[in-house]
Amino acid sequence: MTKLRTLSSGFDWRADHVDWPVTTDVGAGLAGVVAAETRVMWLDPSSGQLAYRGVPIEALATGPDFEEVAHLLITGMGSEEDPKGLAEFRRQVRSSRSLPTDVIDLVRGLDPSTHPTRMLRAGVSALGCHELSAEDDLAGRRHWEELRIVGQVAALVGEICRFRGGHGPRPPKDGCSLAEGLLAALNDRPPQADEVRALDLLWILYAAHGLDAPTFTSMVVASCLADPYYNIVAGLSALRGPKTGGASEEVLAQLLPLRDTAEAELWVRRTLDEGGVIAGFGHRTYHMPDPRVVILRKEVAAMARSRGRVDLFEVARAVESAATRALAPRGIFININFYGALLFHLLGAEPSLGPCLVAVGRMAGMAALVREALDTIRLYRPLSRYVGPPERDLDQETRS
Amino acid sequence: MIGAGPICSEQSYDRGLEGLVAGDTAIGEVDGLRGRLLYRGYPVEQLVERASFEEVTYLVLFGEMPSAQQLAEWKAELIRWRHPPTAAVDALRRVPAEAHPLAQYRTMLTVAACHIPEPENTELDAQWRRPARILSWTADLAASAIRHLRREEPVAPRDDLGYAANFLYQTLGRVPSAETARAFEASLVVQAEHGLHAAAFSALVVISTGADLGSAVLAGMGALSGARHGGANQLAFQMLAGLRDPDHAREWAREALARGHRFPGFGHRVYKCPDPRVAALEPFAETLLTAHGKEHLWQIYLALREEVEGALGGKGIFANVDSITGLLYHPIGLPVSAFPIPFCLAIQTGWMAHCLEYLPGGKVIAPGAVYVG
Repeated sequence: MTKLRTLSSGFDWRADHVDWPVTTDVGAGLAGVVAAETRVMWLDPSSGQLAYRGVPIEALATGPDFEEVAHLLITGMGSEEDPKGLAEFRRQVRSSRSLPTDVIDLVRGLDPSTHPTRMLRAGVSALGCHELSAEDDLAGRRHWEELRIVGQVAALVGEICRFRGGHGPRPPKDGCSLAEGLLAALNDRPPQADEVRALDLLWILYAAHGLDAPTFTSMVVASCLADPYYNIVAGLSALRGPKTGGASEEVLAQLLPLRDTAEAELWVRRTLDEGGVIAGFGHRTYHMPDPRVVILRKEVAAMARSRGRVDLFEVARAVESAATRALAPRGIFININFYGALLFHLLGAEPSLGPCLVAVGRMAGMAALVREALDTIRLYRPLSRYVGPPERDLDQETRS
Repeated sequence: MIGAGPICSEQSYDRGLEGLVAGDTAIGEVDGLRGRLLYRGYPVEQLVERASFEEVTYLVLFGEMPSAQQLAEWKAELIRWRHPPTAAVDALRRVPAEAHPLAQYRTMLTVAACHIPEPENTELDAQWRRPARILSWTADLAASAIRHLRREEPVAPRDDLGYAANFLYQTLGRVPSAETARAFEASLVVQAEHGLHAAAFSALVVISTGADLGSAVLAGMGALSGARHGGANQLAFQMLAGLRDPDHAREWAREALARGHRFPGFGHRVYKCPDPRVAALEPFAETLLTAHGKEHLWQIYLALREEVEGALGGKGIFANVDSITGLLYHPIGLPVSAFPIPFCLAIQTGWMAHCLEYLPGGKVIAPGAVYVG
């Protein structure tokens, strides 16, 4: 039996191994509960460190593209260890982007005002019907192995971007990267190099972040040996919640109307005085600044400068400083969605597309964690304590 | 209320969160030691005898048995929502008939969810009105999915039939006999709530993010579609259907026991004694199978159960509800691949009750992973 003080700052969420059963701290929302052992990623809330397969996030942010990081997450192999495997992986995810016409038609048949995350969920579900038949293995393990899902979701999100933008369907150019294909779909023009780099970076940073609600939902569903498309439909259902992925939309709704830094500071003060919430602040895991923010802030600054939107960056900086001054003493810090939402905006995405774009990156982490877990997974079934009425009898009730 | 905080700030548990007490609930009591299942305090055996599925859904969702007027209003509300958006049913034309019925059903539900007006997805107040819509839409869509398997057109609902009978009518295209409808309804009643099983738990994780009830139900369905969960009644039935007669069943069971085979439909994480749902449904299964000239299946089931429980009962392994529901759904005329669907329709009641119980103050559920690389 291992005993872990998981909610104390002395525990950094690393161990040589876990001896089950474990004894841990248990907080609200199951904070501190150890729900898995993983080799995919390491997240230490108290030091703010995040690493995929042992490589710190800071190193991943300056080198490889998203496909390479996805390959690293899923297989544990870097480009130098397994160049052949990486090339094959690139070929597979890129070629899995051709979608059945029926699936595109189904998405395009939806009410155009439907929230994009719902379109994506419906599209993934329909795609699953084309990929798997009733005769297939229900666990659909093969499909986690083949890794088609990351490319398929990227293609679907691209089609949704085109549909929302009023453009007709068009598959990505043969052999282009996932980021190139998506940007071409989003803006209906060939992407520029700095845009491709920015989207790759966003996907890398969003790829894996412990057992957040969408990933944990997928793990629970996977533990029942459901097919991978059911898994993703379930994960996408959690991604949209206003307390998770939905937050990025709120960031833009708050930031875009602010005209200058003075108005920004005033708005922060007034919002907080009135007991309001600054979107993009506060994180369950971190009680210190999210390390991914530092990386993104620099990227947003550069992109804003080159696109003549320095005003927007300055407003964001002003909101960040004012909110940090007020909230940091209460342990509330900026999170990835603040600058993440801004960067998606600068790349040309309307606010409601944010969660869908995040989802593409997140597929890599989800696929990696679920695939890893399938080897040893046990059905997730916690207990509850019954506090309802004592046993009673229908006969003894007089019903009006 | 499960989201309010832990029962204890320190707990011991095993993989799969086994043994972890995640929180309090007032909805159902699953007593795995005495083999008792209570909804809001009422034993499930009593509800099977005395209550309709509509009454039971009301009880599970809202906490008390409905008065006559409350029941009339609840039934009217359920009937009002029997017509899902036509786009959802049309979506079937865009998926292959060979796809798993649960996947087709999922696709229809995801399309239907696109037709729920946006404020209802994010405003907490609006969600309280949605269980009726989900219960009725899903029944209509599930019936269409099962018909699609046989390449048959959907059938419009009939307002003069109750939930259980109408579902069978829409699925099979004919009004079921009173006996059939009652047996099917009994299976819905005993499966309407079962604590924090994996599907309910995944629904709870989704609702904890502030998502809508429909999204939570989709996640629950995902969990339930898995072979270890709702899919188990298919596997259990296929096992029985592959046996020739009671003697063959005994012989096969003894041989399988000797090599340590795991029998689908036997054993349960919580029940270490006979599953009360099995005893409640057995009389219905016997009657239906006999009436349909399939008594041999009943005898095979009894023989297999006796062998397996005789050998493993001492270890707390008994027949669970998945071993018996297929013996009801088969004579009713449902295809084997559709067996998880009635379970889905019934158990979503419990998921929604847990979600509504969680909503007011529940924190986002996000446990941790220990890095062992």
